[in-house]
Amino acid sequence: MHMFSPESWYWLYDIPHFRLSLLFIGTFVGFYWAGSILLRPILRQFVKSTAGSNDIVGYVLSCFCVFYGLLLGLIAVTAYQNVAEAGANVTREAASLSALYEDVSRYPEPHRQNLRWLLRDYTRYVIKYAWPLQQRGIIPEEGTIRAAAFYDKLLDFEPQTPAEQILHAEVLRQLNEFLEARQMRLLSVKSSLPSSMWYVMILGAILNIAICWLFDMRFITQLLLGGILAAYLGTMMHLIFDMNQPFRGDVSISAEPFEVLYKRMEDE
Amino acid sequence: MSDTPGSGFSRRDALRRGTAATLAAARALSPALFAGCSLGIPPRAKTVNVGLLHSQTGPLAISATGLRDIELHAFEQINAAGGLLGRQIVPHAPDPRSRVDLFPKRARRLLDEGSVAVFGCWTSTSRKAVLPIFEEAKKLLFYSVQYEGNESSPFVVYGGMVPNQQILPALDWLASAAGGLRKKIFLVGSDYVYPRTANFIAKKYLAAKSLKPVGTAYVPLGDRDFSGVVKQIRESGADCVLNTVNGDSNIGLFEALAEAKVDPATVPVVSTSIAEDELRSLLPGHVKGHYAVSCYFQSLDTPANRAWIAGFRREFGHDRVTGDPMEPDWCLVHLWKQAVEKAGSFETEAVRQVFREGLEFAGPGGPVRLDPKTQHTTKFCRIGRIRGDRQFDIVHTSPAPIDPDPYPEIAFPGWSVDWTKGGITRGAEVDIDGDV
Repeated sequence: MHMFSPESWYWLYDIPHFRLSLLFIGTFVGFYWAGSILLRPILRQFVKSTAGSNDIVGYVLSCFCVFYGLLLGLIAVTAYQNVAEAGANVTREAASLSALYEDVSRYPEPHRQNLRWLLRDYTRYVIKYAWPLQQRGIIPEEGTIRAAAFYDKLLDFEPQTPAEQILHAEVLRQLNEFLEARQMRLLSVKSSLPSSMWYVMILGAILNIAICWLFDMRFITQLLLGGILAAYLGTMMHLIFDMNQPFRGDVSISAEPFEVLYKRMEDE
Repeated sequence: MSDTPGSGFSRRDALRRGTAATLAAARALSPALFAGCSLGIPPRAKTVNVGLLHSQTGPLAISATGLRDIELHAFEQINAAGGLLGRQIVPHAPDPRSRVDLFPKRARRLLDEGSVAVFGCWTSTSRKAVLPIFEEAKKLLFYSVQYEGNESSPFVVYGGMVPNQQILPALDWLASAAGGLRKKIFLVGSDYVYPRTANFIAKKYLAAKSLKPVGTAYVPLGDRDFSGVVKQIRESGADCVLNTVNGDSNIGLFEALAEAKVDPATVPVVSTSIAEDELRSLLPGHVKGHYAVSCYFQSLDTPANRAWIAGFRREFGHDRVTGDPMEPDWCLVHLWKQAVEKAGSFETEAVRQVFREGLEFAGPGGPVRLDPKTQHTTKFCRIGRIRGDRQFDIVHTSPAPIDPDPYPEIAFPGWSVDWTKGGITRGAEVDIDGDV
């Protein structure tokens, strides 16, 4: 794995949410302050002699901030949409599973019990084994086996009456819905923003901060105002990073829809 | 040099004060923010991989899935209690899909991925297919299903019954007054190594009592058309059937028997590979009154068994059943755990050294001892009559656990095994398909 690839930074998801937030903010503010001390005197040589330099820097910063703000906003929305879509897929999969469970409950024995049991087994696997793997960014494989076991067993059933034929056709339709939602969930385990977006975002943040170093003002004021801007940039970056992987980090999609379903299955 | 002329507050002053304030703040806040470790990343538990090699689809899934689940249950319990040698057990369960050609591939994958031991296989064909892989890799396979014997490997721990613990006591019971003094036995089995060898041993045993089976029939594994076989049974005048059919072929056998109106009271079928899990897919009307011979039945009424069943059902659902070979499988996992703990290592040789000391475990079906000579376990032999609720009434239990003998002298003269003293002693070659 390349050290600059986004995957090489995924260990950050193991840090508790609040601490990670502080880490992002601290890194940005620290970078700004360090630059204020070390780089600002050099950079200011380029604008020091210019009259009204603050106006020019302010104008450039405003223009830059418009573009950068737009970019950040759009990326944040995209990341949020990814999370929302993955969440919707999880809900859809659990809902299909629930409908399947209800439908096969109308089958005659021994199919009824066998099929219900296989669905329960699948749900248990998703909660106990698949979710922890997803939270580590690993696509769980063994759920496919359990889904295939259900499919196999379902095909053992040969409808004898028109009512059973209708029910069976509906179950097969529902099964396809479930398999589709399941596949979408698995695909979203690895879904994230492309590397190029991260490069542009990080470069934009650095340039944003660098422009602030060009302002001519009291040092303490520089630290304070620039620090506030850097802190907000850090917060935005943290937000996007947090939403980048739908199943990772403290703020991620939970297995709750499956847990609710499993509890109902157990209670019956 | 003043940063801003006239301010009286130099850049150096700001740096000095700022640094001091930052350090003070960091010192004050860091214990609260980063308590325990630098970033609060929870330490990742050490793990150890264990393989579960059971068919989860295909004709054997009906039987083998229960083994996967009881193993998962055992590992989850061990993990909840802190793991094994401080490591959390991570089970990996690929699906060989009831296909013999896939078993070696899946076994190889499990070992390549670092499994320290593998629990698995159902049929003897699948076990024999993976055996060279385990012997080459020097890793342990734990096999919990009843089988035909006539095999010993230092890298396999056999937890299921062998014929001297299952089939031969069943034949004795059938010939006894309790079993109905039945002597016209028809042998039916799936067409692979277990039924053929088991029937060979049964024939030898009957021959020693001057008896001969009235017929023998084999059907391909997974086949469900038993109409011809049932016709043979009827025509043979058999008064009982010894059934070594495996997997969901049993559905076809019992369907055909019921259609032919074979009455279990007059021609009972004694099955070696039917347990509570298989009964889930059989119609009670088809199987009620027939028998199974096993080391364990769910209906065994002991506190240990009741507690075990309750624990399993709590995790896997209240309609789940336990049976043989789930119980032996549970015992195998715990025997392995004991051995690893005693050895202080997951290494095969260290674990095998502990086997030589002999291990015991109080299983739900009664005490189990791992025989250091054969790496097989002692077993009670129980015979159960199938009830209408897919459970068994236990009609016979051996007075004590029976020691395993993978090479019964009657069938394999001169053969024996003792892993504490050099391994297998070979006798004359035996042709199991030859005349008895």
